[in-house]
Amino acid sequence: MRELLYRLKDRYHLGTPTFQRDDLTFVTVKRDELRAILTELRDVEGFTHLTFLTAVDWIEEGLFQLTYMINNREANQSLGLRVMLTREDEPGATTGDTIHDLWPTAATYQRELNEMFGINFPGSPRVDEEFILEGWTDLPPYRRDFDTLAYSQQTYRERPGRGRSDPKAHMQETLYPDYPKPREAAHAHKEEAK
Amino acid sequence: MSLRDVLSPFTAWKHVIDTPVTIQDPFNREAADRYRGFHQNDMDKCIGCGSCEEICQNDAIDMVPVEGQNAGPGDSGLRPMIDYGRCCWCALCVDVCMTGSLTMSNEYTWVDSDPDAFRFIPGVDGKSWDLEPKGYQREDTRRLTGTTRAPMGEMEPEARIGNFDEIVDGFTREQAVIEADRCVECGLCVATCPAHMDIPDYISKVRDGDYEGGLQILYETNPFSQACGRICTHKCETTCAAMHEGDAIAIRWLKRDITDNVPRERYFDLIQKPDVPETGQKIAVIGAGPAGLTTAYDLARKGHKVVVFEALDKPGGMMRYGIPEYRLPYDVLDHEISVIESMGVEIRCNMRVGHEISMQQLEKAYDAVVLSIGLHQGRSTRVPGSEKAEAAIDLLRRITAGEEVPVPEQVAVIGGGNVAMDIARSMARLQKVKYDKVGVTITALEELDRFLADAEEIKEAQEEGCVIYPARGPQEITLEGENVTGLRTWKVKAIFDDEGRFAPKYDEADEMVHPAQMVVEAIGQMSDISLLGAELTEKLEWNRGRIMIDADGQTSEAWLWAAGDVTSGPDVIHAVADGHRVARSVGKMLATKREKLQ
Repeated sequence: MRELLYRLKDRYHLGTPTFQRDDLTFVTVKRDELRAILTELRDVEGFTHLTFLTAVDWIEEGLFQLTYMINNREANQSLGLRVMLTREDEPGATTGDTIHDLWPTAATYQRELNEMFGINFPGSPRVDEEFILEGWTDLPPYRRDFDTLAYSQQTYRERPGRGRSDPKAHMQETLYPDYPKPREAAHAHKEEAK
Repeated sequence: MSLRDVLSPFTAWKHVIDTPVTIQDPFNREAADRYRGFHQNDMDKCIGCGSCEEICQNDAIDMVPVEGQNAGPGDSGLRPMIDYGRCCWCALCVDVCMTGSLTMSNEYTWVDSDPDAFRFIPGVDGKSWDLEPKGYQREDTRRLTGTTRAPMGEMEPEARIGNFDEIVDGFTREQAVIEADRCVECGLCVATCPAHMDIPDYISKVRDGDYEGGLQILYETNPFSQACGRICTHKCETTCAAMHEGDAIAIRWLKRDITDNVPRERYFDLIQKPDVPETGQKIAVIGAGPAGLTTAYDLARKGHKVVVFEALDKPGGMMRYGIPEYRLPYDVLDHEISVIESMGVEIRCNMRVGHEISMQQLEKAYDAVVLSIGLHQGRSTRVPGSEKAEAAIDLLRRITAGEEVPVPEQVAVIGGGNVAMDIARSMARLQKVKYDKVGVTITALEELDRFLADAEEIKEAQEEGCVIYPARGPQEITLEGENVTGLRTWKVKAIFDDEGRFAPKYDEADEMVHPAQMVVEAIGQMSDISLLGAELTEKLEWNRGRIMIDADGQTSEAWLWAAGDVTSGPDVIHAVADGHRVARSVGKMLATKREKLQ
């Protein structure tokens, strides 16, 4: 794998590779060189299989990361190519470059990414159709700014009979109910002051 | 069509005798070994911290009281109940669990016509998978909360031994954030703190960098937060949820971080006296230590006139005259007390009750009197020669007051508590200045791991050159004429008898004489109650030599309360808690008195 990357390095901009396992390597590539690298790896280097295509939301950095995992069955080698995209807040405003013509299965992954991350792939077949979320109106749920807890609180009702105790308050009630509660006293003063 | 295409279907027949990879009974197949199925919770390990409830992104977990699980130190008594109608099996609850009690079995199939059956308390409501070893457990290498305490800078032993400068640096901003970030804000520590400080709330203020807001939270429960941020016995850290699989949060240092990061003049803006009407009622507090001054602080903030009578030169009590300056610098204490004075508390120093003013006069002139005189008299071993021994507490006071104390080349200290360490380390510093070397021996009845002193005090004393002889009982202070020459000790075989009474047994054959020109006794203190006078002493009810008080600190006399070391002890934070209790009790009495007058 090192030797392969060494060869590619002559013609492409590659980041520092991560040799995760003997059979698994990751490397970051430039967006405008992705298609050329993928094509060469598929047609020349034996990476005939697209294992998956997924994304990571680096919200603090303002980036989406796409990971193209490809596999060379003969050599038993997997290579993850990472591409960083500028993260737009508006779902669908971030676009990646479709590779459905290289691997037809990519269209399904791209449709999923459009739904779950709001990363669009213009030109990809059926990319705007719903994938698994039916009638979804909120932020794409795999985005880090999607508030899962708030969504589930708003969307699903609680079963009757539910109730909870706060550990700190519960211990106060059971272990030291008679100790002065200075905060309440302080707040009472504030009320009086108003 | 090639021959290969014709023949290839038949090559599959070669597998006909292999073990099949398909599953014969798809209805009873077991999930993968690390499948995330129904939860298990080990009741012996769960502490009810509620981190699972807090992290759940589906609101599926409720912390609920459980029969047989009682709240106690470091355990809320609550246990997680899971609503599987909402659980998405993400296992964040397992990943965050502070003790590793919560795990998931690999059981995932369960049919029941009652939807409420799918709400239960794992580990309490018995299930068939409770003992299933397979399933999902948190990998120890992957933790959501940091397990290692942020390092605290302190002066090296060589640099600190020749002076009384403060040893501990305090956190940098980076260290404080690392440490505050480790806190899961469960609040189990709050019950352990004698003053029930709102620890999770002020730690979150450290994380947010809102030090002024943090200071206001501190002052809601503790007007001695600067002192406690340095010298608190920090029992809170012994019930911290983080200690189960890592270091406890450095709660004390985070408190100090807040107090260090608010400019001193800002304290007076942030901690203001509430706008309440003056009651015209007056309280006398005897002793300006943490208990007395906390009482005074609370009562002054309620509009009462409080006068504190202090026998010594300056206020602070044991915080000033017991705790050495290298642990609690005097300017910090002065500033802390000035905030209390800004509430209108009047402190009269050099006013020893019983000399300058009597209890009877206080009783007449004030609506209530609070006795918070501490324990300023050292106890003696009463071994032969002990009349020549120095009392640790007396020496510490003289060092603070700037009095000349004798500094011989060799000092032997009797005692294994914090006071023993304080005097040993103070004498070591004075020796270093005078002789450029340390010659301090510490002997105590206990084995080293049973010493009452904080572990860090012991470690630092040893770093500074004090030599500790554990499990040695004093037999005699050897004299040559009027001069002390050493301390003779025997090896301790047992400290208590079979019934748990104090009755040390010695191995007389194992005798040592520790050469010393000064022997210091640091085996405990008592109150100097001579100020009460014979008549009041007779009238008061007593309990084994201590003034008897009710739960609110009131004595058998309706006008007299007692607080702090004189009744409870043994540290600043207990004294603060006492002060709050007594202030509330006094306040109630005063309110009743006002109503009667109206």
